[in-house]
Amino acid sequence: MATFEQAEAFLRDVSDTTSEVELAEALDIVTRELGFTYFALTHHVDIRLAPQPAIRLHNYPGDWVEYYDENSLGVSDPVHRASHVTSVGFAWSRIPEMIALTPHDHEILARGGARGIGDGFTIPANVPGETHGSCSFANPAGAAMPQDNLPVAQLVGAFAFEAARRLWRVRSPQLIPPPRLTDRQRECILWVARGKSDWEISRILGIEHETVVRHLKQARERYSVAKRTMLAVHALFDGSISFTDIFRR
Amino acid sequence: MVIIARGFHEPLRVPELRQMFEARKRVFVDLLKWDVPVLEGRYELDQFDDPQATYILVTDEDGRHSASARLLPTTRPHILDTLFPELCASPPPRGPDVLEITRFCLGRGLRAAQRLEARNCLVSALVAYAIEHDIATYTGVAEMGWLQQILAFGWRCRPLGLPRHHDGKLLGALRIDISPKTPALLERSGIFREAPLAPAPALEAA
Repeated sequence: MATFEQAEAFLRDVSDTTSEVELAEALDIVTRELGFTYFALTHHVDIRLAPQPAIRLHNYPGDWVEYYDENSLGVSDPVHRASHVTSVGFAWSRIPEMIALTPHDHEILARGGARGIGDGFTIPANVPGETHGSCSFANPAGAAMPQDNLPVAQLVGAFAFEAARRLWRVRSPQLIPPPRLTDRQRECILWVARGKSDWEISRILGIEHETVVRHLKQARERYSVAKRTMLAVHALFDGSISFTDIFRR
Repeated sequence: MVIIARGFHEPLRVPELRQMFEARKRVFVDLLKWDVPVLEGRYELDQFDDPQATYILVTDEDGRHSASARLLPTTRPHILDTLFPELCASPPPRGPDVLEITRFCLGRGLRAAQRLEARNCLVSALVAYAIEHDIATYTGVAEMGWLQQILAFGWRCRPLGLPRHHDGKLLGALRIDISPKTPALLERSGIFREAPLAPAPALEAA
């Protein structure tokens, strides 16, 4: 059974690491101590650098990677979607209880099983203002879930993610600061997120229609996006507006 | 603005603290559904809100509460050793240079951007306070989602034990080691705010 001391040893190994290779090696060792065979750590550092592919640190076998790439997982992956609804680690076998799965999702999961991908345990790592990430441990099909080790896995996953986040931050120091919005722009975006048209927003705020159009045009320029939906998504993502703001009346 | 308050026998009589107790009730009782005592249906106060508790308050330009935290000495019973000893693999760190951070509270009325700013101010103020008062270590208990955020502040954290389920939540205990290098670490994560390092007006009890 994995112990807290093993988690501590892992943390000592990675706390000052400056190399992805070292982090991957430490993860590889701790993964086996935890009773798993494979690990995968993923994170988008910044949605605004979106053309850059997701960073993935893993030791998945070639045909698993192929399977994930074929199904362009990452965005629609049921595991990742489930990791957005909790902050606590979960076994993949529990996903149907956590999110509604479409027939296509079921098909994806079944195909994974056919490729030999068994059950896994994913620790979500969601930091406000950043895209979501996670750290997963997995076994080939047929292997039992090492239930007793899951608390250690939870801890290792949380700290591994932070170690990776630190590495990637150092690697991309040119992170663009989020655009600054004026209060009026922010207010207009809030109403966009609530589904109001420019004219409706002008009525609600008691300002000229053209003024609303101008505020939103300038806000779109600051985010370099063309559409109002993307504007709302970006503002929500970087914390300029929040879900609470949108639903508050 | 950052306010440091300590030494009050009747903290509810201090307007700044009263606002904080109200904010705490809205966050910890109404929102997070913690099972903690509430006074007069409005204020969240427990047995640790006594003259030994130190409060760090962040207020907005009108002097209203935006964020706060309570620091407890570890040289007497505190939350970690009293309520959550099972979260520690060995006895939790204690001593005159170890304080426990409890009731980290961000006002519910804040909008997203203000909320992050208030949080950044409070974390920076905690670090400034530790450096000024020779505090080497903070300890604390956090729910896992929040724990991940605490790690992401960039300061040096270590777990004190394995996370465990408590009242349907997965909790973990952490130690945060503070040194003169800590502000630079926060800076790297983009959350350090210089302002709180200025001496804060202390509301010392007479």
